[in-house]
Amino acid sequence: MRSRLRYGAVVTALLAALAAAVIAALGLGSVAIPPGQVVDALLPGAEPSPFRTIIVDVRLPRVILGAAVGAGLAVVGAVLQSLVRNRLADPFLLGISSGASTGAVLVLTLGIGATTAVAMPAGAFAGALGALVLVYALARRGGAMTGARLVLAGVTVSYILTALTTLVLVSSARPEHFREALYWSLGGLGSARWDSVWLPAAVVCAAGPLLFALARPLDLLLVGEEDATVLGLDVARFRAAVFVLVSLITAVLVAASGAVGFIGLMVPHAARLLVGATHRALLPVAALGGALALIVADLAARTLAAPQDIPVGVLTALIGGPLFLWLMRARTERGAAL
Amino acid sequence: MPRRRSTHRALIAAALLLPLAGCGTDADPSGKPAAALPGASFPYTVDNCGVKTTYQRPPERAVTMNQHVTEIMLALGLEKSLVGTAYLDDRVLPRYQKAYDTVPVVAKEYPSREKLLAADPDFVYGGYASAFDAKDGRTRAELKKSGIDTRLNRENCTKGRTTLDDVYREIEETGRTFGVGDRAEKWIAKARTRVAETERELKGRAPRSVFVYDSGDKTAFTVGGRGIGNELITRAGGRNVFADVDKAFGDATWEQVVARDPEVVVILDYGATSVEQKKRRLLNDPVLRDVPAIKNKRFAVLPLSEMVVGVRAPDAVAKLAPQLAQ
Repeated sequence: MRSRLRYGAVVTALLAALAAAVIAALGLGSVAIPPGQVVDALLPGAEPSPFRTIIVDVRLPRVILGAAVGAGLAVVGAVLQSLVRNRLADPFLLGISSGASTGAVLVLTLGIGATTAVAMPAGAFAGALGALVLVYALARRGGAMTGARLVLAGVTVSYILTALTTLVLVSSARPEHFREALYWSLGGLGSARWDSVWLPAAVVCAAGPLLFALARPLDLLLVGEEDATVLGLDVARFRAAVFVLVSLITAVLVAASGAVGFIGLMVPHAARLLVGATHRALLPVAALGGALALIVADLAARTLAAPQDIPVGVLTALIGGPLFLWLMRARTERGAAL
Repeated sequence: MPRRRSTHRALIAAALLLPLAGCGTDADPSGKPAAALPGASFPYTVDNCGVKTTYQRPPERAVTMNQHVTEIMLALGLEKSLVGTAYLDDRVLPRYQKAYDTVPVVAKEYPSREKLLAADPDFVYGGYASAFDAKDGRTRAELKKSGIDTRLNRENCTKGRTTLDDVYREIEETGRTFGVGDRAEKWIAKARTRVAETERELKGRAPRSVFVYDSGDKTAFTVGGRGIGNELITRAGGRNVFADVDKAFGDATWEQVVARDPEVVVILDYGATSVEQKKRRLLNDPVLRDVPAIKNKRFAVLPLSEMVVGVRAPDAVAKLAPQLAQ
């Protein structure tokens, strides 16, 4: 009963913080807009004005993309950490982001497509799928898919694809490609528009409940593979299926925002500290926490150096890292293991 | 073992250089070697980007790295003093093509240290700081140790805003280094006249607000107030809306682009992404639809190879002005 109360309090607090963050993210930005105008712009039938464009067409999709990507990465991170039974796992461990980078960079250097706004996400998604197929084939070869095999296959493919990306960049030899590739890979939400933000949002909305439904088998996996098998779970098949699912989610997210680091690693750990490791409790809290973290980080990214934009991935690590260390320290001081 | 080999190489190089140095002294018993040339006055001491060099006579075996400094040499009629060029951005100006073809190309991009030394230069002229990259052992200090003088384009070390005066000074100092100060002065006088003409034509007109689009989807990679790009736009009758960004280039947020309401977009032309692709990207962006420049499809094009502290700058101003005014 007490723990249920505590859980309710955590979720309520997160929801309140998320609401506050959304309001702040709509009201604040590199252009200062008076609060009254912000409200006016959001009301239906408002006059077209630069302020309205900024709030409705720039900031609102950006907040939605931030929520979707943040929640998605955090949930995927939590699931992957259980799936490969490794607390260091994050959505980019298994080669997806490296594949996306290779695809995006190929498109960039070859100048394919009508515009980079369309071509780079498409190339990234294709690259991520390629990486997924490669990792899957490698991890399945000659036996069942164990967590260790999956991690090894993922890391190997990551290295190969990273090398390939570097090779493409070096042989293109245009200094501006390095810059664009670097910015792309650091991640950012600045390309969020109404005509593209629906895809990651829909994917996260659909995948969230699906993964939540898998909470019990994920719990079993966490207990131990033998126990899980005894309790009737086909571990290898389950792992393969979930790996494909979370990789597809990651591919969509990376194509939309680039590889925003640290959220998928840090938020699941923070959520575990708050509500424990059972997935039924963990996944919703991770989703809320991820959305909150990325919206706040993005707000900082577009205001700290205004009128310039800082890649949000830099800030998630820069703010998130110390925060995470502090959390861990507080926890160990209370005598509990992570 | 590698270290010993490099000592050997240095010894051999020193042995080879000794007789050369001897020849040099023999050739000018008067002590004023180049006094006969018009526009020459030696010794000439110049402080370039923190490296002070005294030239007793003009360099005779120069290598240029980067297109715009190659063009500066050719504009000064110095192709006979060049033993190599490297790293074109697109192509050399047609009026210098013939002279350019008489000089060997040392490398398509930056030459390795070995390749550079193999050309046996006594002077290396770099356009960008990357020309003297430390990783490949091409720093100015290291080249100096090999007896090679260097110059780096001023753009890389100006304090504050880069202006046309930096272009003029770049040409003047290069000219004087090679003992052709008179040619440099002539070129500068012509350039000044050209820019003054544009200025006269623009007189009385309010400057057009300009957003420069280099690239970018998540952010708008644009030109700030510090570099030569801002200067070219200002001289051509524009007002860069991101002049307050204290850098040559910077990433602006799209909401700032909307808020600053530019009348014209100047597209930087280079690389694999075409001007047409960049235009389409901007025109298709729902966020920008009410920005005057996008609504009225007011685009101008500035090739990145003209946005340099080099001989193309005055032409760039003259070509940009009518595009901004239309």
